[in-house]
Amino acid sequence: MPLRLALVLVVLFGTVSLLSLAASYAVTRAAFEQSIREDLAQDMAGFRAAPSARAVALLVQAESQQTDPGRLVLSYVTRAGRIYGNGAVARDDEGFHILSLDDGRATLDGAYLALSARLYGGRLTIARSRAEVTALQPVFLNILWISLLPTVLIALGGGLILARRSQRHVEVVSRALERITGGDLGARVATGKRWSGDLARIGGAVNGMADAQERSVTALRQISSDIAHDLKTPVQRVSLQLAALADVVPEGEAAALVAETRAEVDGISSVFQSLLQLAQVENGALRAQFTSVDLAPRARTIVEVYEPVATERDQTLTFEGPDSAVVQGEKNLLGQLVSNLIENAVTHAGAGAAIAVRVTADAQAVTLSVRDTGPGIPQAERSRVIQRLYRLDRSRNTPGNGLGLSLVDGVARLHRATLSFEDAQPGLCVRVVFAR
Amino acid sequence: MKILVIEDDATTGTYIARGLREEGHVVDLVHDGRAGLLAATGGGHEVLIVDRMLPQIDGLTLVKTLRGAGSTTPVLFLTAMGAVEDRISGLNAGADDYLVKPFAFGELSARVVALGRRPQAIEQETTLTAGDLTLDLLTRKVTRGGHEIDLLPREFALLEFLLRRKGRVQTRTMLLEGVWDLSFDPMTNVVETHVSRLRAKIDKPFATELLKTVRGAGYRIDG
Repeated sequence: MPLRLALVLVVLFGTVSLLSLAASYAVTRAAFEQSIREDLAQDMAGFRAAPSARAVALLVQAESQQTDPGRLVLSYVTRAGRIYGNGAVARDDEGFHILSLDDGRATLDGAYLALSARLYGGRLTIARSRAEVTALQPVFLNILWISLLPTVLIALGGGLILARRSQRHVEVVSRALERITGGDLGARVATGKRWSGDLARIGGAVNGMADAQERSVTALRQISSDIAHDLKTPVQRVSLQLAALADVVPEGEAAALVAETRAEVDGISSVFQSLLQLAQVENGALRAQFTSVDLAPRARTIVEVYEPVATERDQTLTFEGPDSAVVQGEKNLLGQLVSNLIENAVTHAGAGAAIAVRVTADAQAVTLSVRDTGPGIPQAERSRVIQRLYRLDRSRNTPGNGLGLSLVDGVARLHRATLSFEDAQPGLCVRVVFAR
Repeated sequence: MKILVIEDDATTGTYIARGLREEGHVVDLVHDGRAGLLAATGGGHEVLIVDRMLPQIDGLTLVKTLRGAGSTTPVLFLTAMGAVEDRISGLNAGADDYLVKPFAFGELSARVVALGRRPQAIEQETTLTAGDLTLDLLTRKVTRGGHEIDLLPREFALLEFLLRRKGRVQTRTMLLEGVWDLSFDPMTNVVETHVSRLRAKIDKPFATELLKTVRGAGYRIDG
C-alpha cells in the first residue's frame, strides 16, 4: 500500500515539476525574445537618427568592424546596390538566411531575430543572435534532472522503506493472529513506537480481541473443570457405592443388575473423560509441553500390545517402520492416537482382516498409516467420522463411544499434522502426516 | 500402613477411608487443604492421598509446599480432570502417582500399596521366583517345576513385572503403564488377552494357579 502511494506521489510530483519548469521556460524564453526585439528596435532607432544614406552606410561600416556576426549582423544595401555590413540577408525556398560577406557568402549558423527597414532608399537589416534563447533549453533540462531525479529517488526509496516496514508490521500482526487462531491464546502483537497509526490501532484491536478470547476461554475452562468436579464426584460416589453393593448382594439376578449398572456408569465416565480430554487437546495450550517423541518404537510397542487381541479375531496386525522417527509432540497423546487408530481397525475391519501399521520418515515428514482390509468408510461419510459422537450406522452395535476418531483428529491438529482417510481398495487407510 | 486422605467430598473420603481400613491400613481423613497440610507435616504417614481440588489450599499447592519443605512421603493425586495437562502439572508439583475420578477402589488400593513399597522395589536380583516358578533375568529362561516354559518377549516382560511386585495387586492401568508405558485406557480388553495368554503357558499345565485375578481390581502373582 505505501509503495503504491509513493509511486502515485512520485508521478504527481514529477508532473507538477515538469509543468512548472515548462512554464518558467516559456516565460523566460518570451522575456529573452522580448528583450532582443527591444534591442533591435533601439538599434534601428539609432540608425534612423543618421541624417543621410551615406551616414547610415558609414555607421554600419564602422560598427560592423567591431561586431561579431555571430552575435549581431548589420547589413545596409544602398539604392545603388552597394552592400555595407558584416552580413547579408538572402532568401530562398526555405526562408531567410544570413550570409557571411567575408568568406564566399557562406550561410551563418544559428538562429537570428532580424528587423529590416527601408532607410534613405536602401535597406537596413539588423539581426541579433538568438543563441542565448537557444541556450536556455539545456539549462532548463539540467535544472530538471538536478531537481527532479533526487526527489524521485528519495520518494521511491522512502516509499520502499515504509512499505517494507509496514509489511513487517503486518506480518507481526498476522503471525500473532495465526498463533491465536492456532490455540495459543497468550500470543499478542508487540507494537512499537515506529508503527504507523493504522497498524498500531489494528494491533491494539487484535490484542483486545485476544484478551477477550482468553478471558472467555479461561472462564469456559473454569466452568468445564467445575462441571467436571461437580459431576464427576457424584459419578464417583455412585461408582463406589455400586462397588460396595456388589460386595454384599448375593449371586443371582440382583448381582447381574448391579454388574450391568456398573458397566453403564463406567461408560458414562468414559464418555465424560473423553470429552474433557478432547476439550483440553483442542485448546492447543499443550503445545508448550511438547518434547521430542520417537514415533517408531512407540507405534511398534502399541502394535505389540494389540497383537493378541487381533489374533483372537483372526486378524493379522503387523508393523513396518524405521528404528527411529522423531516428531515434536506429547508422548501420551501420540500413543493414544496410534492406539485409537489400531483399535478402530481391530474393531471395525472384521474377522480375517489384515491390519498394517506403517511409519515412514524422510527429510520433510514423518508419516503414520494404518491400513486395513475391512469394509472401509463410504466416501460421503469420511469427513463426518471425526465429528464427536458420530458413528456409522453399521457400527452402532460394536463397542465404542464415537469419540475415538474425534480424539485422533484433535491430537493430529494439536501436532499440526494432517489426517486423511483413503480408500485402500479394499478397506480403509488412515494417514497422519507430521511435517518436520 | 499409615495413610492420610485429604478429600473434600465426604462420601468419597469416607468410602476410601473405610475401604483402606478394611484392608488393614491406619487412615486419617481430613476435608480441606489447610487441615491436610497440618496433618501431613506431623503425622508420620507413609502415603498421602490428595484430591486436586480442595477448599482453602488446593491439592497442587499443598503438594508443592510439602515438597518444598523437604517431605518425601509418596503422594497419590486424585484428579477429576484426568487429562494430560493436569497429570503433568500434578507430577511436576511432586506427586508420585495420580488417579482419575471416577476410579474403582481396587485401583486406588493397588496404587497406594505400590507407592508405600516403592523404595523396596529397587532390588538387584538375577532370579525372580513364585512358588515353583523361576524367572532368570540373565538367561531369560522361565521354568516351573523343572519344566522350561517358552515365552514371547512381551509375555516375559509382563511376568517379570508381576513377579517384581509379588503378592501385590496390579491393576490393568498399572500394567499398561508399567509394562508398555501407555497411560490411557484402551477400549478393547488388551490386558486381559495378554494375561490369559501368559496364564495359558505358566498356569494351565500345572496343578496350582499362580497368576490370580482379583475381582474388581486386577491381577496378582502369589507364592
